[in-house]
Amino acid sequence: MSKTFFIDTSRCTACRGCQVACKEWQGFKANYTKQLDWGSHQNPPDLNHLNYKVVKFTEFKIKDRVFWNFFPDSCRHCTEPPCKLAADGHVKDAVVIDPATGAVIFTDKTRKISDEGFLMMKEYCPYNVPRRDPETKLINKCDMCLERVEVGQVPMCVKTCPTGTMNFGDRDKMIALAHERLAKVKEEFPEATLLDEDSVRVIYLITHPRKMYPHFAAIDQHKKNASLA
Amino acid sequence: MTQSWIDIKNTDCCLIIGSNAAEHHPISFKWVLKAKTERGAKIIHVDPKFSRTSARADLHVPLRSGTDIAFMGGMINYVLQNNKWFKEYVIDYTNASYIVNDKFSFNNGVFSGFNTEKKIYDKTSWQFERDENGVIKKDPTLQHPRCVMNILKRHYSRYTFDKVSSITGVSQENLRKVYEAYSATGVRDKAGTILYALGWTQHTVGVQNIRTAGIIQLLLGNAGIAGGGVNALRGEPNVQGTTDHAVLYNILPGYLPLPRANWQTLADYNKAATPSTKVPESINWWGNRPKYMASFLKAYFGKNATKENDFGYAWLGKGDMPTSERNGDYSFLYCYEKMKKGEMIGGSIWAHNPCNSIPNSTEVRKALCNLEFMYSAEIHHNETTDFWHSPGLNPKEVKTEVFLFPSCHRLEKSGSISSSQRMIGWHYQAAEPKGDSRAMGQIMIDIMNRVIKLYKKEKGTFPEPIVNLNWFDDYDADEIAKRISGWFTGGPDKGKQLSGFADFKDDGTTASLMWLAAGSVTETENRLKRTSLKQTEIQKITGIFPNYAWTWPMNRWILYNRASVDKMGQPWDPTRPVIKWEDGQWIGDVADGGAPPFGMKGGKNPFIMLPDGLGQLYGTGLVDGPMPEHYEPTETPITNHGFSGQLRNPCAKISPFDKIAPAGDSRYPIVLTTYSLTEHWCGGSETRMVPSLLEAEPQLYVEMSHELAKEKGIQNGDPVILESIRGQVEAVAMVTVRITPLKVQGRTVHLVGMPFAFGWTKPGVGDATNRLTLYTGDPNTSIPEYKACQVNIRKADKNALKELSYTEIKGGHHE
Amino acid sequence: MKVTRRDLLKVAGAGAGAIALGGLGVSYLVTESYAKKLKTKGAKEVRSICPFCAVSCRFIAHVKYGKVVSTEGDPGYPISEGALCAKGATMNSMVNSEHRLLKPLYRAPFSEKWEEKSYSWMIDKLAKKIKETRDKTFTLKNAEGKVVNRLETMFHMGSSQMSNEEAAVVVQAQRALGLLYIDHQARI
Repeated sequence: MSKTFFIDTSRCTACRGCQVACKEWQGFKANYTKQLDWGSHQNPPDLNHLNYKVVKFTEFKIKDRVFWNFFPDSCRHCTEPPCKLAADGHVKDAVVIDPATGAVIFTDKTRKISDEGFLMMKEYCPYNVPRRDPETKLINKCDMCLERVEVGQVPMCVKTCPTGTMNFGDRDKMIALAHERLAKVKEEFPEATLLDEDSVRVIYLITHPRKMYPHFAAIDQHKKNASLA
Repeated sequence: MTQSWIDIKNTDCCLIIGSNAAEHHPISFKWVLKAKTERGAKIIHVDPKFSRTSARADLHVPLRSGTDIAFMGGMINYVLQNNKWFKEYVIDYTNASYIVNDKFSFNNGVFSGFNTEKKIYDKTSWQFERDENGVIKKDPTLQHPRCVMNILKRHYSRYTFDKVSSITGVSQENLRKVYEAYSATGVRDKAGTILYALGWTQHTVGVQNIRTAGIIQLLLGNAGIAGGGVNALRGEPNVQGTTDHAVLYNILPGYLPLPRANWQTLADYNKAATPSTKVPESINWWGNRPKYMASFLKAYFGKNATKENDFGYAWLGKGDMPTSERNGDYSFLYCYEKMKKGEMIGGSIWAHNPCNSIPNSTEVRKALCNLEFMYSAEIHHNETTDFWHSPGLNPKEVKTEVFLFPSCHRLEKSGSISSSQRMIGWHYQAAEPKGDSRAMGQIMIDIMNRVIKLYKKEKGTFPEPIVNLNWFDDYDADEIAKRISGWFTGGPDKGKQLSGFADFKDDGTTASLMWLAAGSVTETENRLKRTSLKQTEIQKITGIFPNYAWTWPMNRWILYNRASVDKMGQPWDPTRPVIKWEDGQWIGDVADGGAPPFGMKGGKNPFIMLPDGLGQLYGTGLVDGPMPEHYEPTETPITNHGFSGQLRNPCAKISPFDKIAPAGDSRYPIVLTTYSLTEHWCGGSETRMVPSLLEAEPQLYVEMSHELAKEKGIQNGDPVILESIRGQVEAVAMVTVRITPLKVQGRTVHLVGMPFAFGWTKPGVGDATNRLTLYTGDPNTSIPEYKACQVNIRKADKNALKELSYTEIKGGHHE
Repeated sequence: MKVTRRDLLKVAGAGAGAIALGGLGVSYLVTESYAKKLKTKGAKEVRSICPFCAVSCRFIAHVKYGKVVSTEGDPGYPISEGALCAKGATMNSMVNSEHRLLKPLYRAPFSEKWEEKSYSWMIDKLAKKIKETRDKTFTLKNAEGKVVNRLETMFHMGSSQMSNEEAAVVVQAQRALGLLYIDHQARI
């Protein structure tokens, strides 16, 4: 059965358990980060080859009311991954799809992809996800903790999440859960929506208008057209 | 916590005030959000800063730090004026009807009996009126002008919307929203809970802040019920346990008072420390004190503690009588003062980092230089172990000898930990201690064994408590857990484990290192190790897991649960039963004392730890007043708060360490509040060493409003310097909508907030925020006023930065 | 992992998203498993408690050849149900940290550096210091002449990081010495 994540941002408290647990599970070392000239809780500032998951923060004050939105960003495991389309043109099997789960996997062969190929992958990705390790030249991103999923465990970010923001399971169940939650959340937030539900295996529920979330939270229409052209 | 973490799911209104629960107890929000989605509970966050807690709340209400009593006093007034209180509960289960002494008065912000010179109250005039038999006089009709209800009404009638709004900076509209929503729980089928933490305790009115929650919860009938209670979200990892075990100056383990100089014998102690009651319906649990004290002494001195020698009572050090606000107070406030004066010779600082986490930390660092020796057990170097290298100190001029023992990680030892909900659970050893590290318990046992050996060999001054000590060869957590739970030292069961409180005797035949844990390790089972999720049907409804680990007292999950039922033992709200009287017995949680319901023959009052068994709307237990009254923080931007002429808490403990800026000092116009953050632990000495956590929160920042930033010409990410009358600190500006300027007495007051997790031993992250804060302590607990002081802020020259600049070493900084 | 035709059919039957896989017209026949080796496989599981806030989340340490290789939340704890926050998620890094203190260290008066010493050297020297201080400065009577039997020139601070059993013995030792200045992070 193919798998899907459902991320209910209406429940996220940005505790960053997912961000840190992912990093610990992967065994990644830390980036150099700082507050000077940055001044934000969003650290590291973006996804990178040492962070498959980064919680993003956006804040607004509208009519004296403060809004602070949290968005645990990561690869969406697209059902038709444009990164694979881009990679296939360069190195076969650099990007594969795990048939059991639908996970989009970057393999060791990504090492052989040229800089130009890598840029193309990045450009094709509607969510600005692929990153390259400058030393090993591997291109990487979230791998759905496939080794955990294979033995019946959930990915580490889901395992760690305290609030029910991160969910993982069979796709039909996750889609049903997403719609059930959406209906409930809409009672409080009429503008709540699911992001790119049909084309991704990581479905986000957001509570406020799309523009109140990070730039790459959802497919920008022009970019989608470009990537499929 | 009077409740459990899971019980938060049972609430209809969750008032989070003085706590940032989502950030500091992230798992709590699992249950807060459950209440919201499954019950439609309203989540209200009252806090100076919009935080991750506020982001998930229905309503965030910013208030000026240090004005919580005004805010809550306004709510008490609202509840009383609008008759929102729960009649049946208040009449039967609280002291609303008690009549107060006619000598009691309250004038211009000060209660009767105040001694200006000694800064303490003589509480005689606060007492209740008694009849010739010593029974407290009551008026159940609540008509008597001096009954508690009417005293309360008069006192809080001064807390009008106008006044409260003007002093707190909260709009009247927001006040009304919170008061209405919360007081709606004052009916039998609604529950409201209050979650607080250090945001309430760390003020010179800290304990009185909490009293306001007690009063509100009693008025609304929310104490003891599912989804209710007064919930201190305990901060530190085992702070509940280390408080129970009294790593403290004023109590012995199990909340037994410290022996004092006027109590020369055990009989004196028992007489002074044991409350009595003339109320037949009262259980008066503390009436058992002599049994707990005798058992404690037996545990300490074993067979050397005999009836003839008062069980070794004379061997315990005795404190002076608290004859002034500072006399007889042995808290760290006065410890560092003594150290500063050169009157301390040596001591130990274990897994604790006062050079970063105690206010006015520059002075703490200097004070340690006056010691001859210090010994520590730590997992990493920190600002305290290496204080002699502190910025501004020259090691060549520091005489202090330092012994630093490597202590092992929790994963390298076994033992038990008590959570905020009083649940004691077991942790197992997973790996051998790394290097030459050891459990802290082992290190202390080894040191003490060497001391005992020296005393046995060489004698010395007053060797009795040392040579007679019932000590250990090695650190064996299982064995110590047995001693904590307690055993029979005489009688037919000699040598066997106690089964619970009922076994305690005052004749030297029982022993326990901490009586509250009695029954946790029985003859057959270490119940701390249990992991079963088995529940009865009624326990399932409210989320009680009686077979998982063990909860003190007597495995009771919800304290004061006898108040959750009516006189006949039926739950106020049948859909949320904590306990229930059925077929002549209690079902559900372990009832607070086994007696039948209050309205039946032999029935008892619900608040069993209080002498008369009734909830205290008016109480004589605290040193600074029988009811909370608003006072300003020690440092305040205003000069007259309008409630009375008494600007500050008259009993507050002032440290001579501190320079204090006068009220309304224009040099320091900005309120500073300090806090932890999710990604670091308190002073940060452990978490700064974890790469993925330092990556997420890398440097000291100051959160400030766009309005203040504009006034000061500061941009987001700029280096700034903060200054209080005590010192200055470098930080990075985080300019945000999450901090709002407040309208106080018609003018704008700015507030900034800073974490205190960063220190110089991790280069480039910043140094102690607490160089800015002041010590002044709460009169009841000596807790410093971390949450409010006055500062100024200015943009700094990037090139002049010392604390926040470092060379980026490849792979170095965060590894 | 060999992918058979049956597997592919399974994928195809998984739902709209999966059917659309073919829409790209690219080959996704996988001939090997790309999943990494599960690092916790075959490890011994030991239950511990997070050393931070007082929710006391249980976590499982996976131990291989005496070394902790991974940690994650314990789903059997009814309060957290397997969840952890950012801090709790780092137990593995914390216990295996390169920054840990491993040797007893001593700093002599006016010295600029630490010296490594043996554990028994430290204990010996310290015990003597404690006794010497206590013998010299013990207070038998207070200013009013009341017997108080206390040691006012020494203090003990910390720690809420101790287990209950450690707290019990530390307090017992300090009270036996006669200390009154005993305090910790209960209030910070």
